[in-house]
Amino acid sequence: MNTTATPPVIHVVDDEAPFRRSLLFLLESVGWQAVGHESAEAFLAAAPAFPAGGGCLVLDIRMPRVSGLELQRRLKAGDPAANPFPIIFMTGHGDVELAVQAMKEGAVDFLQKPFKDQQFLDTVERAVQLSLERHAASRRHQEARECLERLSAREREVARLLALGQANKEVARALGISENTVHVHRQHVMEKTGTGSAAELARLILRADPAGLD
Amino acid sequence: MPACRRTPFSAFIPASLAPALGRCGALLLLGLWAAAAGAADIRLGVLAWLGSEEAEVQWKPLVQELERRLPGHRIQLRQYDLDELSRALQGGEVEFVVTNPGHYVTLEAEHGISRIATQVSAPSQDPAHVVGSAVVVLERRRDLRRLEDLRGATLAAVAEDAFGGYQLIWAELLRHGLDPEQGQPRPLFTGFPMPRVVEAVLRGEADAGVLRACLLERLEREGTVPPGRLRVLSPRADVGHCGVTSALYPGWAFAAARGTDPALSRAVLLALLSLPPDEGGQTWSVPADYHPVHELFRELKIGPYAFLRETGWDALWHRYWPWAAGLALLLLGGGLYTLRVEHLVQRRTRELSSALAERHRLEATLRSGQEQMDHLSRLSILGELAGTLAHELNQPLAAIGNYARSLLRRQQAGNLTPEALQQAAAEIASESERAAGILGGIRAFARKRSRVRQPCDLAQLVRESADLLRGIQAKAPAIALEDALPPGGRQVLADPLQLQQVLLNLFKNAWDAQEAVGSDAPIAVSLSAGEGRCRVAVRDHGGGLSPELQQRLFEPFFTTKPDGLGLGLSICKTIIEAHGGELAAAAPADGPGLVLHFSLPLAADGESTPP
Repeated sequence: MNTTATPPVIHVVDDEAPFRRSLLFLLESVGWQAVGHESAEAFLAAAPAFPAGGGCLVLDIRMPRVSGLELQRRLKAGDPAANPFPIIFMTGHGDVELAVQAMKEGAVDFLQKPFKDQQFLDTVERAVQLSLERHAASRRHQEARECLERLSAREREVARLLALGQANKEVARALGISENTVHVHRQHVMEKTGTGSAAELARLILRADPAGLD
Repeated sequence: MPACRRTPFSAFIPASLAPALGRCGALLLLGLWAAAAGAADIRLGVLAWLGSEEAEVQWKPLVQELERRLPGHRIQLRQYDLDELSRALQGGEVEFVVTNPGHYVTLEAEHGISRIATQVSAPSQDPAHVVGSAVVVLERRRDLRRLEDLRGATLAAVAEDAFGGYQLIWAELLRHGLDPEQGQPRPLFTGFPMPRVVEAVLRGEADAGVLRACLLERLEREGTVPPGRLRVLSPRADVGHCGVTSALYPGWAFAAARGTDPALSRAVLLALLSLPPDEGGQTWSVPADYHPVHELFRELKIGPYAFLRETGWDALWHRYWPWAAGLALLLLGGGLYTLRVEHLVQRRTRELSSALAERHRLEATLRSGQEQMDHLSRLSILGELAGTLAHELNQPLAAIGNYARSLLRRQQAGNLTPEALQQAAAEIASESERAAGILGGIRAFARKRSRVRQPCDLAQLVRESADLLRGIQAKAPAIALEDALPPGGRQVLADPLQLQQVLLNLFKNAWDAQEAVGSDAPIAVSLSAGEGRCRVAVRDHGGGLSPELQQRLFEPFFTTKPDGLGLGLSICKTIIEAHGGELAAAAPADGPGLVLHFSLPLAADGESTPP
């Protein structure tokens, strides 16, 4: 939970070394932390060691062996949490079809080479914002889950019924226990989760699992 | 010349017969033109679709610009209509032609001309989508909204064989279930120039008219047509600048006649590609793929595909049965007409059999299409290289731009460190050298570089190239040199830079081939002498190539690598040929892989660089 301080990192994957270095130089000029990778394979090899945090992936769509599109597919096929980076594609002249395909596969944007530096930096900025939002959402999700895991099995049942708006009496009937016991469970649930009402409890459960109240 | 006269018959003669009929006119003209053309004259035949004065204005700048860029040549501009241009090619009266895409495809099949460039209206435009047609109607005709509304209407167009002026819309109508050949709509052919079509629509002689795209907008700008009187029928939403009804096809073609000297074609191509856009923004680009035009003609069964209409005696009978019936009636009519009828039958039979012969000839022409394509791809390689050049230069230029703008940003933000300045300046310097290197390589291929021939030690060249490869790529495999050259004959007369370029290319290919199969065996280079020549062979332990692929290996743009341009080996071949050798591929005698080998004449002792 100490990831808040990690600054976002921009990963640039392009087999053309001088061009890749020039992009890193440009990104560093405006204060971004940027890392270059000479191929999709090199990126995949380095990925497990990346610190958790925001950032984005700037990807050349045409590369030898593993293309940008292929890398996108591999990242998608893997654990989405392991790679939360939004992807920006760089395309050459006449690659519109590839770019459309990339967008369909979930890329956040694409830039047709040659592009203006401002356009590039704006696109990166938007992608990083998006990743930070995604990151925050996933952290809230994680926290909510950990919070609920502190409850016992019976407490979770009680919490779920309370979140659905049932009164103590109804919960007692549904679970076949006394109203008094429900009351005690309710106290524990509220204490352990730090919530003050059934509505807050419902929000917490939904944050941990969007289908948690179905 | 009774056989040349256009009799009412000619309307029923297949289009493929027309060149045969035109031949007698061409023979007459041949003598005149041959006398008129000077030695250094380049005769450029253009299709005058707007009338001769317009054509003069339209092509004058091109002619002047070409003359400026081709010193020692005078360009004769000759204007023709569609048939005249075909006859001019038949008679060898022009070296180059400029014509519309449809006519180009017809002339390509009939006279074997090859395109060297395609006209585009903006430098960035795709040459494959330039020419289109618009159907115009009076603005007040509320009943005409879509192409289907033309059923039963009259459609004015310049001529049945006009490409942008009729055939594009003809095809569009067919796709909408209408067939002008069945009178839906009724075509009304006004003849050139095209503004006659506008007059026919304005006067109400026709309900609609076919114009080349953007002509209406131009006539309105010039004040010939009051704006708002006419509108374009169902304009396509995906074409921005002008109202266009049809699909877009490749631009006008600049083509060389069959006998034109390839060196002259190259000079003209280079001049064309370096032309700035003219006043209308028109310029020339690498030749487009005219396959869509072939498809269109196949659909319409015209031009080279006219024979599709004549699918056998049944079809001929179907077409000509009224005549046969007429003949039968005449026969029945008896005695007096018998001789006349006999004469007619003989004439018809002659024409039909010559039509069939022409059809067979055209089928053969189409079969040899592959050969023509090969010829063409070689001729237009320089044009293609211009495109590649632009692409290749983009990377270093983009990197240079990024560094320069980053420096400005850091300077403005006040955080420009000496280290960053040094890094960026070094990168800018090396990228500009790379860009210059690319330009130099292309220029060498264009043979503009002055010829260098000096005695070179081949083994030393191999070693230098191997060092160069490892200098560029640290992971490169070892290169094992097997030197069997005798002490007395180790030198060839060559351009050392170009030979290095070839060797580097062969090494890089060998390495790629081995990498693809995961082999790290050394690349084997062997040098041997025999019959006054020195043989160089580069062998890899990669996957090898089938004999068919070995054949195609040296064609421009042939590549087995997913990211390859397919230019390396075709350039190598050109270089080796210029050195009096030949580059070839073969399967190795033992094991997998591929051998690329060439041989060069050994230099005589004491031979030195010619001045």
